[in-house]
Amino acid sequence: MSLKPRDEHDHAAWMDKRELTAIEEIYLTALIWLDKRLRIVDYLEILENLYYKVNFQLPKSHTEQYNLDNKFWYWYPLYALGSFSTIAYVVAAISGALLGFYYAPGAGASNGTPALGYNSITFIMTDLNFGFFLRSLHRWSAQVMVAAVFLHMLRVYFTGAYKEPRELNWLIGIALISLTMVFGYTGYLLPWDQLAFWAGQIGVEMSLSIPLIGEWVAQLLFGGFTLSQSTVQRMYILHVFFLPFIVTGVIAVHIGIVWMQGIAEPH
Amino acid sequence: MSDNDDSNEVRTDGTGIVPPDDETPTWSERKTRTQGLSRLTYEYFERARREDQDLRQQSSYIERDVLAFPTWPHEMIRNLALVSFFVGMIIFLSAALPPHIGPPADSSTTPPVILPDWYLYWSFGLLKLGPLNPEISLLGGQKLLADRTYGVLANVVVVGFVAMVPFLNKGAARRPVEQPFWAAVGMSGVVFAFTIAALSVKNLAPMDSHVLFDLTFLLPFVAAFITYAVLRAMREGYMFNLNRRYYRLRPPK
Repeated sequence: MSLKPRDEHDHAAWMDKRELTAIEEIYLTALIWLDKRLRIVDYLEILENLYYKVNFQLPKSHTEQYNLDNKFWYWYPLYALGSFSTIAYVVAAISGALLGFYYAPGAGASNGTPALGYNSITFIMTDLNFGFFLRSLHRWSAQVMVAAVFLHMLRVYFTGAYKEPRELNWLIGIALISLTMVFGYTGYLLPWDQLAFWAGQIGVEMSLSIPLIGEWVAQLLFGGFTLSQSTVQRMYILHVFFLPFIVTGVIAVHIGIVWMQGIAEPH
Repeated sequence: MSDNDDSNEVRTDGTGIVPPDDETPTWSERKTRTQGLSRLTYEYFERARREDQDLRQQSSYIERDVLAFPTWPHEMIRNLALVSFFVGMIIFLSAALPPHIGPPADSSTTPPVILPDWYLYWSFGLLKLGPLNPEISLLGGQKLLADRTYGVLANVVVVGFVAMVPFLNKGAARRPVEQPFWAAVGMSGVVFAFTIAALSVKNLAPMDSHVLFDLTFLLPFVAAFITYAVLRAMREGYMFNLNRRYYRLRPPK
């Protein structure tokens, strides 16, 4: 079987038929040449779409229509809490990556002598240029992120913004707030000072008291029923590997849904 | 098929390229012919699109073809301004109040106060609900669950309730004034978060621990009742204003 190649859409003939200026001809030739190879036509719709999105004339929002800004402007900081926690997360990620250059997890014997993890934090705080500030920035942005996330949840609750089209995002938000707290907890254990050790103790006991799967959870998260080197190691990997990927992904979905659905307006 | 006249035999082994002719369905025809889930999806999308269009054409609201503020640019521009201020606040805080580090971990000395970070106080407090764990007489005064398990379950119950809120509270009401009950539930939740946190640090609260335990569960209800009363009063005020305006426009005969 052979297929005779033929120009079904004889573009050349079509161009001859039109009386084109030199510029138009060069342009069309280039366009056809490229289109034969890259099939630009298939992407035209995207371009067109983009054009209309860029030149979109926004309809008035409810707030503008009824001139409610004069009543609502003092609530707007509460509407920024979601963005605020995202930005705090970004600050924590950057400062955390910088801290990661200098921190190494290590529990030692937990007998009151400073071990590897504790020593690297001491190094960061006393010897490293701007290290004290860096740790401070990481810690404060984490604290602020958690606070902003809690307040964000309250804002969403009291403005009824979780209602009908947005139930799914409320559930995702609950997953996010829990993950944020796990993030905080795993980070809290990393310095391996007294606070960290005994918070870890509470964590092990909590997971051991989960019915049926308690021991398995303790093994998985804490690397055993007592605190040891593997506890710090696991907390470290959770904190710098698993949680960043998971939380960043879930935040992207959360914000994507907000972007699609729009902000529930104050009424 | 003029090119094909010399090799007219039909191959049934699946080889050979069949050039498209008038009989060959186009891709959109294939799509409409498809059976099963993809067909259903396609039909549904067509219906949804038609429904959307109908609603738009029938709608008497001209001003409101958005159901919310657009995130971009309304919300984002405003947030950029507010958030840059907040980031300045983070930097200021971290420069002014740097954290210090405690003594290194020592498994042989228990510190007098063991606490997680502040945002876990509520969860830590829920672990201390042992006194609420019923001693079941059927089991001869034994507890069905260990106190620790009970505490972990309490966490699950609290988070589960918060997750169910959108499925319990339906309807178009948004403002607290429009839904005093749910606002009261929310306020009691906020107050409970604080009281249970106070319970978790009861070593520090200057109060008899039994009183503290009772207050932990009493204060949320007090807060709920106050919120409910205030919001109902506000709603009455709104209704009074509305009615007054109504009667001013149409004075009773």
